[in-house]
Amino acid sequence: MAAVHGDVHGHEHDDHHPSGIMRWVKTTNHKDIGTMYLWFSFTMFMVGGFLAMGIRAELYQPGIQILQPELFNQFTTLHGLIMVFGAIMPAFVGFANWQVPMMIGAPDMAFARMNNWSFWLLPVAATLLVGSFFVPGGAAAGGWTFYPPLSTQGGLGVDLMIFSVHILGASSIMGSINIITTILNMRAPGMTMMKMPMFVWTWLITAYLLVLVMPVLAGVVTMLLTDRHFGTSFFNAAGGGDPVLFQHIFWFFGHPEVYIMILPAFGIVSEIIPTFSRKPLFGYSSMVYATASIAILSCIVWAHHMFTAGMPTVGQLFFMYATMLIAVPTGVKVFNWTATMWRGSMTFETPMLFAIGFIFLFVIGGFSGVICAIVPIDIQVQDTYYVIAHFHYVLVSGALFALFAGVYYWIPKWTGHMYSETLGKWHFWLSMFFFNATFFVQHFLGLAGMPRRIPDYNLQFADFNMISSLGAFGFGLTQLLFLYLVIDCIRNGEKAPQSPWDGATTLEWTHLPSPAPYHSFETPPIVK
Amino acid sequence: MEAWLQNKAEEVNKITEKQSSVSILQIAKAVMAAFMGIRTKSDLENDAATLKPVHVVIGGIIGGLVFVICVLLLVQLVVRN
Ligand code: HEM
Ligand SMILES: [Cu+2]
Repeated sequence: MAAVHGDVHGHEHDDHHPSGIMRWVKTTNHKDIGTMYLWFSFTMFMVGGFLAMGIRAELYQPGIQILQPELFNQFTTLHGLIMVFGAIMPAFVGFANWQVPMMIGAPDMAFARMNNWSFWLLPVAATLLVGSFFVPGGAAAGGWTFYPPLSTQGGLGVDLMIFSVHILGASSIMGSINIITTILNMRAPGMTMMKMPMFVWTWLITAYLLVLVMPVLAGVVTMLLTDRHFGTSFFNAAGGGDPVLFQHIFWFFGHPEVYIMILPAFGIVSEIIPTFSRKPLFGYSSMVYATASIAILSCIVWAHHMFTAGMPTVGQLFFMYATMLIAVPTGVKVFNWTATMWRGSMTFETPMLFAIGFIFLFVIGGFSGVICAIVPIDIQVQDTYYVIAHFHYVLVSGALFALFAGVYYWIPKWTGHMYSETLGKWHFWLSMFFFNATFFVQHFLGLAGMPRRIPDYNLQFADFNMISSLGAFGFGLTQLLFLYLVIDCIRNGEKAPQSPWDGATTLEWTHLPSPAPYHSFETPPIVK
Repeated sequence: MEAWLQNKAEEVNKITEKQSSVSILQIAKAVMAAFMGIRTKSDLENDAATLKPVHVVIGGIIGGLVFVICVLLLVQLVVRN
C-alpha cells in the first residue's frame, strides 16, 4: 500500500503534509483528527480527575478541611460537566474518527474540513469551562444538571458554562452528521449494512441520537440564558414559568445522552470479545436490533430522574415501567457477549480483561439502575450516594473501561507498536480494585441516606467515606500508569505485526499494515 | 477512487431493484424484533436487502407510539380503582 500519495477527491490538502504545529491545526485527515480527539479527551480526563481528587479529599473526613462549600460545589459541577462532555464523549468521537473509515473500507471521513472544525471547537469550549473557575464568583455550582433556580442565580461562571455547552453541542452535531454520512455513503463495495462491524453500527445509531437530542440541550441552555439576561421566565414561577419544565427538557436530552455514552462502548466490547474468543459475535443481528431499540426506548424514560419532583402516580408508573423495559434489550446484549465467550478459545490480553471487567461491572450498574427505577425505592435513594454509585458503575466501569479496552486493542494499529502487556495487566487489576473500593461502598452510603453534592456529612458515614477516598486516590494514580504506558508504547514499544490478534477479522487488521497508512483505502477493498 | 465510485453505483442499483416490494407486515415485524432485540439472521438479511431506511424510520416512529400507548393502557389498568 503506497502510504503517501493518493488521488482522494476533495481532500487534496492532505497530500502534502504541512509539518510542525500547522499539520495539526490544518489537518483534514481522519487519523490526525482522531489522535487529537483522543489526546484532548485524555487531558480533560486528567482535569476532571483532578477535580474528583479534590472532592474525595474533602470527603475523606467529616467536617470542612480543604474546600469551602462554594468551591466544593464548583468542583462537583465541573467534574461532571468535564467528564461527560470533555472526556467520555470526545474520546468516543476520536475512536469513530480513527476506526470508522478503516472498518468500512473508506479513504477518509465524508466531510474532512468540517471534521477539523468540530475538533477545534472543543479546546475553545474547554477553555471556557476551565477558565470559569477564575472569574468573579467562580465556576457554575448548581451541579452538572444545572437545575434552576441555582443556575438562574449563579454568576458569570454560569454564562461561560452556557456558552461552552452551546459550542460543545455544535461540535457534537457536526461530528454526528459526519459519521452518519460516512457510514451511509462511503462503505467499500460489498460492505452491506448487515456486514458492518458492530462498532460501526453502534456509532451510526449513536450519531442519530446525538442529532436528535443535542438541539434539545442547546434549546434548554438558551432558555436559561434568556431567563438570566433577557427577562423571560421559562423557569421562574414568579413570572409564570416552572422550574420543573427545565427538568423535563434537560432529561429529555439527558437520558438519551447517557446512552450516547454507552452505545459506542457496547460497540467496542462487541469487537473485542469475539476477537479474543476466536468466535464470531453471537447473535450479531440481535445486537443490531437491541442497539436500535435501546436508542428508541431511551427517548421515553426521561422522567425517572424526576420521581421526587412531584408527578402524578400515572406518570410515575409510566416512567417506571418504560425504564424497566430497557433492561430487556440490555440483557440481550449481555447474553450475547456471554454466549460469544462460551466454548471459545479465549485468551486474556489486556483488551479482553477490560472488556470482561466491563461486562461484570456494567451489569452491576444496570441492576442498580433498575432498582433506582422502582418508584418507592427511588423516593428513598434519589439524590443520595446510591445514585452516584449507580452511574459510576455504568460510566466509569462501563464507558471508561470500554475506552481503555479499545485503546489497548487498537493501539498497535494506531502507532505500529505493541504496548507492554505486563503494565497493561497492572493497569487493569489496579483499576478494577480501586474502582470497586471507591464506588461499591457508595451503595451503602446511599442506602444509609448520605446525600450527594455535599462537602460535609454526619459521623456515621465516616468509615465508608474514608475507604471511598482512598480508593479514589488509588484509581487516580493508576491512571498515570496508563499515561506512562501509552507514551512508552509510542516511544519504545516493540514493532507490531499487521494483526497481533489472531482472532481479528475486521478490515483494519486484515487489509492494512501497522501502523495504518496516512490514507487508509485509496482503492477500496472488496468485501465478500 | 474511480473504481470505488463505479462499484458503489452498481451496488446501489442492485439494492433499489429489490426494494420495490415490501409489505407493511414485514416492516412491522422488523420493528417489533428491534424492540425486543431478537432476530434470526436470515430474517435480518432479508430485511437489510429489501427494506428502505424510510420504511424503518416511519415504522419505528409508529412502533414507538404504539409502545407508549400500550404502557399507558397498562398503567390505566393498574390504577383503575
Ligand atoms: C438498565 C439500565 C439503566 C436503568 C434502568 C437506569 C435507571 C436510572 C434511574 C432510575 C436513575 C435516576 C436515579 C435518581 O436520580 O434517583 C438513573 C440515574 C443515572 N443514570 Fe442510569 N439507568 C440505566 C443505565 C444507565 C447507563 C447505561 C448510564 C450511562 C452510561 C446511566 C447513567 C446515569 C446517570 C449519569 C444518572 C444520574 C444523573 C444525575 O442525577 O446526575 N444509567 N439511572
Ligand atoms: Cu436516565
